[in-house]
Amino acid sequence: MAETTRRKGRVGYLLILPGGLWLLLFFAFPFYSLVATSLYDPSGSDFRGYEMSYAFGNYVDVIRDYWQPMLRSLLYGATATFFCLVLGYVLAYAIAFKSGRWKVLLLVLVIAPFFTSFLIRTLSWKLLLADDGFVVDTLQFVHILGADDRLLATPFAVVAGLTYNFLPFMVLPLFASLDKIDYRLIEASGDLYANPVRAFFKVTWPLSLPGVVSGTLLTFIPAVGDFINAEILGNTNTRMIGNVIQSLFTDANDYPAAGALSVILMLMILAMVIVYVRRAGTEELL
Amino acid sequence: MSSVVGSGRGAVTRRRLLQTGGGLAVAGIGAGALKLPFFDAPGAQQDPASCVAGDVSSSDSSLIISNWTGYIDPRKKEKGTFQQFEDSRQITVSYTDDVNDNAEFYAKVRNQLGACEPIDRDLIVLTDWMAARMISLGWIQPLDKAKVPNLHANLIAPLRGRQWDADLSYHAPWQSGLTGIAYNAAQVGEVRSFDELLHRADLKGRVTLLSEMRDTMAFVLKVQGADPDDFTPEEWENAIEELRKVVSDGQIRSFVGNDYLNDLAAGNVVACEAWSGDVIQATFENPDIKWVVPEEGLALWSDNMLVPNLATHQANAEAWIDYYYEPEVAAKLAAWVNYICPVDGARQAMEKVDASLVDNPLIFPDEQVLAETFDFMPLDDRQSQEYEREWANVTGG
Amino acid sequence: MSQAAEIDPAAQLDAAYDGLRLAGLTKSFAAFTAVDDLDLDVPRGSFFALLGPSGCGKTTTLRMVAGLDSPTSGTITLAGQDITRSKPYQRPVNTVFQSYALFPHLDIFENVAFGLRRRKQRDVETQVADMLDLVELGSQARKRPAQLSGGQQQRVALARALINKPEVLLLDEPLGALDLKLRRSMQIELKRIQTEVGLTFIHVTHDQEEAMTMADTVAVMNKGLIEQMGAPAELYENPRSTFVANFLGQSNLIAGTITSRASDVVTVDMHGITVSVPTGRTHTDGDAGWVGIRPEKVLIGEPGEELDAPGNTIPGGVVTDVSFVGVSTQYLVRMPWGQELQVFQQNTGRVRMFRVGESVELSWRPEYAFVLDQSQDASAGAQQVGVDG
Repeated sequence: MAETTRRKGRVGYLLILPGGLWLLLFFAFPFYSLVATSLYDPSGSDFRGYEMSYAFGNYVDVIRDYWQPMLRSLLYGATATFFCLVLGYVLAYAIAFKSGRWKVLLLVLVIAPFFTSFLIRTLSWKLLLADDGFVVDTLQFVHILGADDRLLATPFAVVAGLTYNFLPFMVLPLFASLDKIDYRLIEASGDLYANPVRAFFKVTWPLSLPGVVSGTLLTFIPAVGDFINAEILGNTNTRMIGNVIQSLFTDANDYPAAGALSVILMLMILAMVIVYVRRAGTEELL
Repeated sequence: MSSVVGSGRGAVTRRRLLQTGGGLAVAGIGAGALKLPFFDAPGAQQDPASCVAGDVSSSDSSLIISNWTGYIDPRKKEKGTFQQFEDSRQITVSYTDDVNDNAEFYAKVRNQLGACEPIDRDLIVLTDWMAARMISLGWIQPLDKAKVPNLHANLIAPLRGRQWDADLSYHAPWQSGLTGIAYNAAQVGEVRSFDELLHRADLKGRVTLLSEMRDTMAFVLKVQGADPDDFTPEEWENAIEELRKVVSDGQIRSFVGNDYLNDLAAGNVVACEAWSGDVIQATFENPDIKWVVPEEGLALWSDNMLVPNLATHQANAEAWIDYYYEPEVAAKLAAWVNYICPVDGARQAMEKVDASLVDNPLIFPDEQVLAETFDFMPLDDRQSQEYEREWANVTGG
Repeated sequence: MSQAAEIDPAAQLDAAYDGLRLAGLTKSFAAFTAVDDLDLDVPRGSFFALLGPSGCGKTTTLRMVAGLDSPTSGTITLAGQDITRSKPYQRPVNTVFQSYALFPHLDIFENVAFGLRRRKQRDVETQVADMLDLVELGSQARKRPAQLSGGQQQRVALARALINKPEVLLLDEPLGALDLKLRRSMQIELKRIQTEVGLTFIHVTHDQEEAMTMADTVAVMNKGLIEQMGAPAELYENPRSTFVANFLGQSNLIAGTITSRASDVVTVDMHGITVSVPTGRTHTDGDAGWVGIRPEKVLIGEPGEELDAPGNTIPGGVVTDVSFVGVSTQYLVRMPWGQELQVFQQNTGRVRMFRVGESVELSWRPEYAFVLDQSQDASAGAQQVGVDG
């Protein structure tokens, strides 16, 4: 008896091994290297080499220089996440409860955009929102947009692109949560005098919270770090932190600054996720 | 990967669709940037004389080339320059169009070349400033003058005597281009100068500039009365301040590296800074798109063939360079890619290839135009880093 | 159908009938009819059981009363009010679901308070505390449903429905998931609570013993129709169809021909043996019938022995099987016409046990026997006993 327990324990550790090694190799080591890079002396270059001077000043410098795109990224990410949640919830709800035998087909349609490249999908939004495109023309016709207003190269286009590109990441966990809800619970709430609106807010919504939490995380985290949407759909005043890191790294070859910004971005997201998960109280829901 | 997109001659754009590579580079920043965590990292400079591989060209008749997308006539075509090279020189070429962006390519090979490790390529093609940087980092092998006689004999005069490699020891231009202005005549009146791009009120918010710092800053310096070939830090400061002002006024819609002519054709943008080769293609499709030689002049640049350290087929690479400096070959190539042909005598040879292109000023500009072109002064690494960062801050809001 | 006779004609005329009335209730799904033109009156304050095998339509009936399914036709009235088309949340009806359907994200207190809060009631705290005391869960108020045992969850489900003081409380196989012992004590508990609160309970079950233990009125349902309705003892002692005879306990059904009908007694020829049955227990109009007798009503003795059964004596039996089950002994006796009859003999200690192969005589008192229509299947309802549903 004791022997088998011990063996089981050992098997458990063995099972952790491949994933653990993978993480060590492709997360822990790069992250360590990233932190190291962020602390190199800012005077370094590929010609002179990089001196490790524990230059924490790099962090101060990048916050001073790039707090605007940083805030903007959080704002765009949060806005896109909000729209994803509203649109995604309605969609996931319809698929989970109302789609009947079309359920599988609808789910396939939700992930269908993944069959084409992220870039192509984003580029197609350029056509959609073009200044002479039908969307802008229509909005101008009904006077929602003025004659000289545009959609492309505005914050709206960036947020719309983010919303569109990350919507499936919201829909799938929401669907998984909603689909798991025992429909009899909703019937029971109706039996207990909850009208459909109350039943939704008192039963369906709280039971779908695990999906809401994972969906918002899966949307918010990559959306904040995204740079493709801002690059393609934005203008000079909509650049996000991902664009800044990219240009610092590839164009300016300022590795310490790029590294410091990346670390700040990671820590910031990590902190927000921890606070969020704590407040949402997901542990209790599961 | 097909080098031809669409039905026209030549390629869509030399700067490829998008800088996806940039994203990968960001993802790899931690792993790729520097080697010894928490210790100093040595400089990446190498000595090309000591970082050499034995040349096996005589025994192994192959050649590995990395070039930009859509930058060669169809390789499958029997009469094409590529097939004819392979047949006549008995060399098998492995040709990849994996150069999408200078900075991104630099990030890709930096760790190997910086540590004197092979990148498994015999010939790479990079734009002037990146070629200059790699040469000064000691990553590029000198070419044997005796093996590239056509280069020394036929390179057009305006491309000779560049500050960073005046005697063509390390580089051979593959194709050249002009940076100028394009506008959509259906949307706006003639645009004559870069100054107008930056300041004309009816263009406000409907102008794009190129996202490569040297392309755009050369013109801003010119507008400010400085010489991009030789400017002082103060002049730089004035120029970048001017740009900052223009950007915050909302004159510039965005800084782009690709796809900008689609915006021009679609009417999202009415005028833009543009590369000559892209404009040729666009004017074939939309006659309203006009190419302008700005009053400030044109910037002339090249994409250059370079042999990286530890290349194992240098002699084959030199054979390739020499071959493409034969005027007939150069004419055939130019007829396809539509960029400026850097080879003297190709214009005469073009009469037999495609007579309609002989007088095309975007392939064979007249001497007068070329004589007045300018280039961007070579920057040392510290300047380059500083200027790139200031540039990023201005263009990045 | 026969239950029409059960409904008091005066009540039918009275629009202000204060109980629950289902009239012509029908529910058809694409392929079949689950409930077929059902008429049923449930008096106010009664503990009413709807008993039947799985698929008989009892749960569908319940769901229509709750408003979770809408009837294809027919009406539901409660205390004179037509509620056929009103929404579940508008009906003064609450349900204890088979699966309990407790809200996993709310604690016990909030589960029980759910209905009160939706109706914005006052002193929720006190009411819930009282209710939890009633079901003896006062100390568990802040636990989540998943932390409770099955029996406790069941009581929460009951409390959650009961606290709303509905006109009608619907119980859908509420004890189905509990083990036998817990079931017994919950049955008693439920009965106690119903007596205390005095609400109308409609209890759906497939367990005939449960139905008989708890309900004052049992309706036996089969194939979307009510077969028979009445007090448990009445149903058991005087079943009107072979289905009821077999589904409620066990019955010996012996083919016979009615030879004479008098005002108080009917004479039946049963394979050459003449037996008599009271007229009020004869439920066939034709001559061919099944003579029915419950196994525990049959006495067994040696041939010629004087049994305490002045009346019907059936000689010529041979014991083919003996099972001793403690409180009783169960015999199978082969009769001269080949049929095996069941006999349960109480172990009073005053009678001796018979062995397999012994010749015996059976007898029963005429007032215990009943006669059913022979056109009905003699095994109807028998195989369904104990089938979960």
